[in-house]
Amino acid sequence: MKRIIFAFLSVIACALDLFAQEAAPVEVFPTAPYDRYIIFQSLALFWVAIVGLIVIIRMKLKEIERVQKMGIDREEKDIPLLD
Amino acid sequence: MSCQRLRNWIEERYDVEGMKRLARHKLVPVHQYEIWYYTGGIAMFLFILQFITGMVLSFYYIPYFEHANKSIIEIVTKLNMGWFFRSLHHWGAQLAITALFIHVFSTLLLKSYRKPRELLWISGFMLLGISIFFGLSGYFLLWDERAFAAVRVATGGAGNLPVIGGFIKAFLRGGLDVTGDTLTRFYAFHVSVLPLITLFLVGIHVLLVQYHGMSVPMSLEKKPLKQIPFFPNLFYKDLIIWLLVLGLTVTLATLLPPEIGKKADPLAPAPENIKPEWYFLFLFQTLKLFPGEILGMNGETIAIILISCGILFFFLIPFFDRRSSRGEKSVLFTWIGVFYTLYFIVMTIIGFLS
Amino acid sequence: MKINHSLVTRRTFLNTLFGGWLAAFCGGTFYALLKFAFPTLGKEPDFVVLKTGDFMDISPNSVKPFAWGGQLGLFYKKQNGSTYALKGVCTHMECNVTYKPEDKKFYCACHQGWFDEDGKNIAGPPPKPLEFFDITTEGEKLIVAKKGIKVELPKA
Repeated sequence: MKRIIFAFLSVIACALDLFAQEAAPVEVFPTAPYDRYIIFQSLALFWVAIVGLIVIIRMKLKEIERVQKMGIDREEKDIPLLD
Repeated sequence: MSCQRLRNWIEERYDVEGMKRLARHKLVPVHQYEIWYYTGGIAMFLFILQFITGMVLSFYYIPYFEHANKSIIEIVTKLNMGWFFRSLHHWGAQLAITALFIHVFSTLLLKSYRKPRELLWISGFMLLGISIFFGLSGYFLLWDERAFAAVRVATGGAGNLPVIGGFIKAFLRGGLDVTGDTLTRFYAFHVSVLPLITLFLVGIHVLLVQYHGMSVPMSLEKKPLKQIPFFPNLFYKDLIIWLLVLGLTVTLATLLPPEIGKKADPLAPAPENIKPEWYFLFLFQTLKLFPGEILGMNGETIAIILISCGILFFFLIPFFDRRSSRGEKSVLFTWIGVFYTLYFIVMTIIGFLS
Repeated sequence: MKINHSLVTRRTFLNTLFGGWLAAFCGGTFYALLKFAFPTLGKEPDFVVLKTGDFMDISPNSVKPFAWGGQLGLFYKKQNGSTYALKGVCTHMECNVTYKPEDKKFYCACHQGWFDEDGKNIAGPPPKPLEFFDITTEGEKLIVAKKGIKVELPKA
């Protein structure tokens, strides 16, 4: 009789344990509000950095194309050497 | 900053002017399809991102089946920004494989594989297979229920190939069934074997592109096209696109971090509604199309044989497409290319929705 | 070409802007990467709590090891029965020391360093004596603390 009660209780305990596992999934994203604010703020700052970099690169490209249109980037053929 | 002194030091020893002159020779044609030129670079950038995030993650991952799942949970919950780098590695993989498929199908439809670029197609196809294996092996390292079932199905499916199937299955699994040995093996693949092979193949692939130059679609080949130097014009355009791709990956990684399932139990039944990663879905759906038995023969074996033939044909397309290797319009192969592309997209979507 | 009333050429301006912004961007990315790559280094504890019963009854002129954070701690009972606790780590190159009861000295095998029963370095390369701790007992709890640290136990 004691054995049956013990076995029954251990089964209940195992079931409860499984339930506990289900109820606590792994936190793949920080839950604290402070952490969340920092993360979203960093993401915004990151995008500002990327957009800024892209703007600068476009400025560079425009300048390069302007110079290339003028044709002054290619070396002149038969240029006299300064010997 | 005495940049000039550093420059003098280098120029006294190496022919920098010669290298610069060589670099200036690389020209890229301008035409309406030039946007597809960027796809290869995007795929390469994402793979570099994967290498970097993978290297730092491997500092903390434990490739032993007892601790694997827990080590990932530790990375995600206990380490500085661990969740972010794992999420970045996950999304980097998804986007890299997406970019790779876009690159493959665009080169197929634009017929960049034609003479003289057949070896580019061959090396590229091998890289595609390796990347898919990268995805499968990396996903398995999670050692959760879904990954475990996915690898069982994938290696089991490979085992159904006639003649060589048994060897492939045993080689991949490291035994008869998926066990802790399989984890060790897949870790070795993911971290050592595949990266080295990839570096080698990507090196050859990129060198061949430099040698042959950019392929121009046949309809535009005869016309004289404006050429833009790669350095610096296209280099900066590439950089802009790569920055945007980085931004996209980081945003996805931050907003949609992936879940971690329960640790796998080899003896537990497969979980409900198990589906492989999205880049396998088209194969999965194709298998489902075939009935269990066709004319007394095992339906699945026939399905696998047909799929293998389809993939083999895809692999050898440059050699089958005689017309395009002569530089002639090849309408049949355009339709074949369209069929492959649509089949892949449609089957993936169906697999997703069902 | 530089216009006379401007500070720099257009090229210098653009290149500096680009280089500076790129450096900041890469620096930020690498900082994040490095923060992840370097684990939070473990700190040495200020005190550890042991069970009185496990340690006070050891035989005289012997040591019993305990965990001091990740390093070796030694509980030491001299011949006359007085008890001490010390860090069993040699001050030369951090090898673990051992107690030689027949000599009543501590010995480090790595470079043959010797310490006497009070931890003073008497022979070999060790430059400093062994670090001794303060011991206090609170009933069942044996508290081993760094010298000078005031121990506040949590109400557990």
